[in-house]
Amino acid sequence: MRQRIVIFFLVFWGGTVFLLQPAASQENKNAAPSVSPESLSLFQAVMCEEISANAPQYQTVIFSVAKEKAICFTSFDTVSEKTFIYHNWFYKDIPSSRIRLVLQPPRWSTYSSIQIRKTDIGPWRVEITDSKGNILHILRFSITD
Amino acid sequence: MDRIISFFYSFRWQDILDITVTSYILFRFYILFRGTNVFRILIGMTILWFFQRFAVSLGLVVTSWVVQGVAAVAALIIIVVFRNEIRSVLQARNLKSLLWGFSYKTVNTTIEFIVDSVFNMAQRKCGALIVFPGKEDLEEEIQRGIPWKGVISNEMISSIFWPDNPVHDGAAIIRGNQIIEVCAILPLSHRSDLPSHYGTRHRAALGLAESTDAMVIVVSEERGDVLVAKDSHLREVKQKRGLEKKLQEHMGLVPKKKPFVRKESFETVMAALLSIIFITGVWYNVTSGRDTLVTLRIPIEYKNRKPAMEILQRSANAVSLDLSGSGALIKSIKPDQIQVSLDLNKAVVGNNSYTVTRENISLPPGILLKSVYPTEINVELDVTIKKKLPVQVDWVGKLPDHLILVEAQIDPQTVEIIGGKRILEKISTLYTEKVPLDNLKGKGNITANLALNPASLKIAPGSKEKITIKYETEERYPESSKEAAGKGSE
Repeated sequence: MRQRIVIFFLVFWGGTVFLLQPAASQENKNAAPSVSPESLSLFQAVMCEEISANAPQYQTVIFSVAKEKAICFTSFDTVSEKTFIYHNWFYKDIPSSRIRLVLQPPRWSTYSSIQIRKTDIGPWRVEITDSKGNILHILRFSITD
Repeated sequence: MDRIISFFYSFRWQDILDITVTSYILFRFYILFRGTNVFRILIGMTILWFFQRFAVSLGLVVTSWVVQGVAAVAALIIIVVFRNEIRSVLQARNLKSLLWGFSYKTVNTTIEFIVDSVFNMAQRKCGALIVFPGKEDLEEEIQRGIPWKGVISNEMISSIFWPDNPVHDGAAIIRGNQIIEVCAILPLSHRSDLPSHYGTRHRAALGLAESTDAMVIVVSEERGDVLVAKDSHLREVKQKRGLEKKLQEHMGLVPKKKPFVRKESFETVMAALLSIIFITGVWYNVTSGRDTLVTLRIPIEYKNRKPAMEILQRSANAVSLDLSGSGALIKSIKPDQIQVSLDLNKAVVGNNSYTVTRENISLPPGILLKSVYPTEINVELDVTIKKKLPVQVDWVGKLPDHLILVEAQIDPQTVEIIGGKRILEKISTLYTEKVPLDNLKGKGNITANLALNPASLKIAPGSKEKITIKYETEERYPESSKEAAGKGSE
């Protein structure tokens, strides 16, 4: 009798493991290639007018409408595996756009930009977050005449 | 006829009480002030008021305006000029005598003391002059003596008029059971028909009695007579009982002669009746008449709000009330006499809906509420919290093309704000007021205030209100500009 109970539990446990394993592996396939925030170390985050030779040019906190473009440049310390980050652009506390950027070794820097229009004049901010939404840094700037 | 029937039908118990109380107040005023100068002036004022109303009804603009001004000034003058007389009526008596009668027990013994003292002094031929003021003010007639304020006793009166006493020469003034003043100088009578043996004391007593309603007792130093001066008469009193009676009569303590009592009772009854008729007329004029409608906009008052909560929004700040009542009442009504209040005691965080009912509205008597608009009021409440928020500069204007603003550090970087929880949940940044870029050059510091929006937000105590911005600009094309400068110098 005791043997039967032991066998029953073994079979039940084995079946459960067998049935759940494919689902878990599927989840892993869909999951984003993420790096824990502790391991993702932001090296530089600036607002600039241009990117030249993979480096930010004309760093500033003011963008004139005449310049037509605002760029948020971020650079990280060594990234061991493919991951992605977000640049969340806010206009006066209202979300404007959410840009997903991939960091793939050996490329550890990336940038996003927005087109500036006359209606965008005012205070802005860009929240740089990791794949899990943890805020790594906030950049603040203004769009002016 | 229908109007009369409907008028009596709408008669409430409050109206009867209203008329009774006001009539009684008017009647008591008559009883307390009759025979005084104040009363005569009040009658004059009433006539003046009727005259002013008459002038208004005739359309005499300037006349009514002048009479109104005179009446207003006269009211003020009465209080100032007759202050002592008013005080003697209102203060000298106890509450019971103010509301009902005039009797006091202490006076009887006081009268006995006075009578005994007067006849003792007469026996000893010790001259004395004692004044008993009536209702009229004596301030203008008597030259100020020395304030005394001593409770009456045989010894006290005898000592005042003792020949070696420095104050024995003047008159003593007695009010109630107190000698209030001694050594007072009275006006002298100028009558020529007085007996030759009358001295200065007699003339002084008569002089005051002629000009006021006061009673004066004179004790003759030469003959030892006791005389009483009252109403232009100076009569000798031989018996104690006679003097006692005269004092009681003067103080209104004895039953007077029958015809006189009858006359006085008749006057009192007539005064009571006239008071009722007059007040009923005034009441009818004020509270009834044709219904008049008026619409007033009254601000809503929110009561019993929990201290931790604050009002975020409300669907209306005021309500329009359609009110009806008599023309006179409606004309005299002012918005601050009406209150519309909502009790927020049971309010919760979020939206609260209230219906404005008659219970929420306080109206003056005689005014009826016809309708309210709007009846539904929505109030959004929130809990007050503190939140630390980052500060951002709100730049405006245009930086010169050759410059680039590379850095703008702000101090403090965060500011603690007090405000509604629901508001602060939606806010993640505090912005400064607009800071112009146009004049920025090189490096420098700018100070800016915070732009708190909505205005209900407040900076928490201890947080800085001014934001210091340390900025730094650079040339956009430093090398090319240098080259240009070099070429220029060559």
